[in-house]
Amino acid sequence: MGLLVVFGQIYDPAINAAALAFDRALRADLPDGVIETVPTFRSVLVRFDPLEISCPRLEGHLQELLARQDWLQAEPDDAAQHWVLPCVYGGARGPDLGKVADLMGRREDQVVAAHAAVELRVAMLGFSPGLAYLGQLPEAWNLARRSTLTPEVPAGSVLVAVRQTVLPATPIPTGWHAIGQTPFRAFVPAHRRPFLLAPGDRLRFEPVAEPCYAAFDQADFLRKSGG
Amino acid sequence: MSGLEILSIAANATIQDAGRPGFLRYGLSAGGAVDPYALAEGQALLGNAPDDAALEFAGAGGRFLARSDVWLATSGAEMTLTVNGDARPWRQSFGLRAGDELRLGPPQTGVYAYLHVAGGFQTEQVLGSRSTHLRAGLGTVPRPGIVLPFRADLPHSQQPLKLPRPGSFSRRCFRVLPAPQADLFSAETRQRFLAQEFRIGQMRDRMGMRLEVEGSAAFQAETGLSIASDATNLGDVQITGDGTPVVLLVERGSAGGYPRLVTVISADLAALAQVPSGELIRFQEISRDDAVVELRKYRREINTLKDLVQPVFRDPHQISGLSGMNLIGGVIRGDEEDNHDDD
Repeated sequence: MGLLVVFGQIYDPAINAAALAFDRALRADLPDGVIETVPTFRSVLVRFDPLEISCPRLEGHLQELLARQDWLQAEPDDAAQHWVLPCVYGGARGPDLGKVADLMGRREDQVVAAHAAVELRVAMLGFSPGLAYLGQLPEAWNLARRSTLTPEVPAGSVLVAVRQTVLPATPIPTGWHAIGQTPFRAFVPAHRRPFLLAPGDRLRFEPVAEPCYAAFDQADFLRKSGG
Repeated sequence: MSGLEILSIAANATIQDAGRPGFLRYGLSAGGAVDPYALAEGQALLGNAPDDAALEFAGAGGRFLARSDVWLATSGAEMTLTVNGDARPWRQSFGLRAGDELRLGPPQTGVYAYLHVAGGFQTEQVLGSRSTHLRAGLGTVPRPGIVLPFRADLPHSQQPLKLPRPGSFSRRCFRVLPAPQADLFSAETRQRFLAQEFRIGQMRDRMGMRLEVEGSAAFQAETGLSIASDATNLGDVQITGDGTPVVLLVERGSAGGYPRLVTVISADLAALAQVPSGELIRFQEISRDDAVVELRKYRREINTLKDLVQPVFRDPHQISGLSGMNLIGGVIRGDEEDNHDDD
């Protein structure tokens, strides 16, 4: 069974921070019978075994935690990881960069510089394994999704629309604009930490040239990033 | 190598066990057998552990060659089963000798069928499970030419066992709870949804199944506000942009932005997934307390399956031709205590 704790209907950094902070507090003292918690843009799903903890009892626990503070004023997690991911913008790795530049009325190099300048936060992981929704870009990035679906973009694609950046960890179909690709892989099933990004992580992209992409060594990168 | 060689197999067949629960926060749905009851049937017939891996078929089967002696069982939807061309009954355990050919044809009832081996298939384990997760690219994808390994250290000659056919295959009414976004729909829409008959669509897989509605307005949410994605639960019925209900199954996307109207209770979800395309179904809303009672009953049924297991007694005259093949002493005598002295 599941109980959903909702902090708002839309994506908004304060609503998201509330959901992430509530999830952290809940996990710090998880009642027996809770199977897992799933923080998202605007809510926390609490999946539980109703034969181990009754629904009213869990509901009481969640209400009590909710009343403990004003979660919409919650500070972001100090302990969140901080990533700087290399990214090749444009060309074959970001085929929609030109179109995005047209939509924003800027040159491609300006778009790249603007995107790489923003420190993003992992708002949630979902849709496909390890796929990160990153927020939030300035209003100029409030781009509609494309009207057609690309059947498949590769893992590591850097996709933008609606002031967000999406970083898939596996190949996915998408209607978002592909402006680049990072060689970093957020989901490595055989790794001791198969999922490297966590909700709340801070993340920035660093523009690099094609040779850097080919030379990227994830194990080496993780050592330097303290992963 | 000990193993079952795949000679041919339907494209949607997978390896399934209890799946990978606990990774939903990272975007990975648990996967695992669509029908956990059927998975448990096979484990009961073989004395396997609850999370041993089996082959799952979704409406079509395949042909297999035993590369070594092996003890197997079938469960779930009833497929046509032959060994070297001879028909065999479903929901039983049985032995194959090295070189025997096993053929599974389309199911006569239900959709999801399982082929189990003693000790479970020993395919690659990722994140604590052997389940094939197609979207995530995890686990072995069964393809012709692959030899599915199994343990060689288990007895391959045993007393054949059988289980009765569960009553769930004839069910066409499934119980639901209101989903978290039910209040985005008008009371009229919710009532219409519960009064409505739905046809199970052809578009279905381990992620979800579409429900078709005939001669009726679509189930649109009231609000014009597009809600941001949040986490999906197993059994959620989401209403897509064009108003079509989709029941979310084990390999669903972990999050979605479509509003969800009801959630099918865990005790009923596998039975719903077993309904063939084209059949009519309906939903019935129950209370949260009743859903917990049903879950307790369902778990108890699964945990007591081993008490329903019966030995198979066969007429020796019908299988006299087999005795010369030194199959299994116990088949003929039905003697569970001491069935190895003819081997």
